[in-house]
Amino acid sequence: MISSRFVLKRLLLLVPVLVGVASLVFSILHLSPGDPALTIAGERASEEFVKQVEESLGLNDPIWVQYGRFIADAAQFQFGESFIIQRNTTVREVLVNKLPVTLELAIYGQLIGVFLGIPLGILSAVKQDSITDHLTRIGALAGISVPIFWSGPLLILLFAQVLGVLPTSGRISVLYNVEAIRVTGLVTVDTLIAGEWDMFVSAVRHMILPASVIGVYSMALISRMMRSSMLEVIRQDYIRTARAKGQGAKITVLKHGFRNAMIPVITVIGIQFGGLLGGAVLTETVFAIGGIGTLLVEAIKVGDYPIVQGTVLTFAFLFTLVNLGVDITYSILDPRIEQ
Amino acid sequence: MSTETKTTTETTTGTGERGLIDRVTASPFVSKLLSNRLALAGIAIIVTMVVVAIYARLFISLDAITQSQLGTNPNRAAPSLEYLFGTDGQARSLLPRVAYGAWYAMLFGTVTVAASTTLGVGLGIIAAYYGDVTDNVIMRTMDVLLAFPSLLLALALVAIFPDDLGLWRAVAALTLVYTPRFARVVRGAALTVLENEYIDATIALGATDPRVLVRHVLPNCLAPITVQSTLNFGLAIIDLAALSFLGFGAAAGTPSWGLMLSNGVSQGLLTGVWWWSFFPGFFLALTVLGFNLLGDGMRDALDPRMREAVD
Repeated sequence: MISSRFVLKRLLLLVPVLVGVASLVFSILHLSPGDPALTIAGERASEEFVKQVEESLGLNDPIWVQYGRFIADAAQFQFGESFIIQRNTTVREVLVNKLPVTLELAIYGQLIGVFLGIPLGILSAVKQDSITDHLTRIGALAGISVPIFWSGPLLILLFAQVLGVLPTSGRISVLYNVEAIRVTGLVTVDTLIAGEWDMFVSAVRHMILPASVIGVYSMALISRMMRSSMLEVIRQDYIRTARAKGQGAKITVLKHGFRNAMIPVITVIGIQFGGLLGGAVLTETVFAIGGIGTLLVEAIKVGDYPIVQGTVLTFAFLFTLVNLGVDITYSILDPRIEQ
Repeated sequence: MSTETKTTTETTTGTGERGLIDRVTASPFVSKLLSNRLALAGIAIIVTMVVVAIYARLFISLDAITQSQLGTNPNRAAPSLEYLFGTDGQARSLLPRVAYGAWYAMLFGTVTVAASTTLGVGLGIIAAYYGDVTDNVIMRTMDVLLAFPSLLLALALVAIFPDDLGLWRAVAALTLVYTPRFARVVRGAALTVLENEYIDATIALGATDPRVLVRHVLPNCLAPITVQSTLNFGLAIIDLAALSFLGFGAAAGTPSWGLMLSNGVSQGLLTGVWWWSFFPGFFLALTVLGFNLLGDGMRDALDPRMREAVD
């Protein structure tokens, strides 16, 4: 159904974009004020020591040599060692450690968005102009208008402070040591693999509020797109034909309408994955979760350039991969797109 | 506001005898928009927030609401008749601060949207008109910018600008982040416009490139630009607040909604001081909702397929 040539072509098209992305990150950090050597050596370091650090970082080389080295390293996912946040640790190690935290949050958020957003959108379209439709539409508009850094704190105040039913911060109760059972880095998965039921429950309870906050936003976007796409599709001739030959309304909508209406929705799911990653930065900050979102914010504040480079590139890489997935899913849903 | 500019330009290109108000209301776009109750609610919200913003700017002293009021006002007082929105950790009444936040949101939001619209429209039209290499260079650069999740790109870009620029560095970063969206939309619209025969005719009559672009292509691309700007306004206000919330925008003490929320989260949450988060966030969300309602209404009024679906 899907040719490997198509996938290969798409993969090749990614290369210039990724080189562009890496070049932009390189330029951003070279335009930034602040001297990396001074940051590492410390304000009070002797001039000689600062020079030594500069030398070891290769900061004295011509800019194009530095650029070439950066691109070559980035291609191998090497970003050197962290300056400040975790000294003597490679950025790669730091990222491998923290990336699953952010991914877990984004995945649960996305699941909430997809599994609630799609049915709500279909319901809204099928029952156009009913009370259900109006409520769903207004709810979805509110969902994209309410910032995460407001809904998050309010949920914390309500569920954690007033009702006292859910934890307010972190990924799991401090009583448990997740590192000991680390396999994938996703706490909800690792605790299951280890068969630690109590730990699993604690991890899930910690996930509920942040995942809902981030999920509501994608749910709102997805249900809006699903609704308008479905409305367009159910006006098509082939839907009328299916109904005219006596097929039931439910089957028609689900069998013929759904697949065709999904195409633009898949795009939105892909695009808003970027929003989800941005949202993860805010959600992690609100719920004090130590993922790469909070890592990036801290790294920018203290000037830990290797971490900034690594994190930003990882985010862009992930986003690009998701969009590649979207393109491929497209061609599965509508084989004409391949041509 | 942007609605009227759009329709006047659109109608002046047609017959221009009737009065301005007649022409605006006679436009199918405007009458469609005005019959949409949700869009009207959006306009009402925006107008209210603009009035609050202007009032705050003119009648509230920035010094008085920035300086600590410890000793004068009760500290961390819950909302009451005297302090409608309560007071913060420095005993400052939150009501005037939240009102002043509207001024910041509107001012910086407008600048961000205006700057990214101008840049994006310029690049998009140029890419569409000149095609070939110019088109490729511009649009591939836009692709690279679009390859980043927007808030993350803004965070990385903010680092370029010196701290003392305050909210202006957030404005600069977000302008660069939003530009590609406008460039894409405008390039698409301009390509369609350029296929029209009147463009060929204008060129044959010897019109210069800038004249063709500004007098003929641009006015016919205004509809999608206006919708995109309106929807982007809400996003800009959220993102500006988000950058302040994360510590990359407004300077400490500034009455910006994002900063007030950050304060509410870092100091108010665990002590149960809900009003520090509630009020700034509520007005932030309300303003954004206003722009989204209007933007949605505008899109529906412009999109013929949607018109069909509703009628």
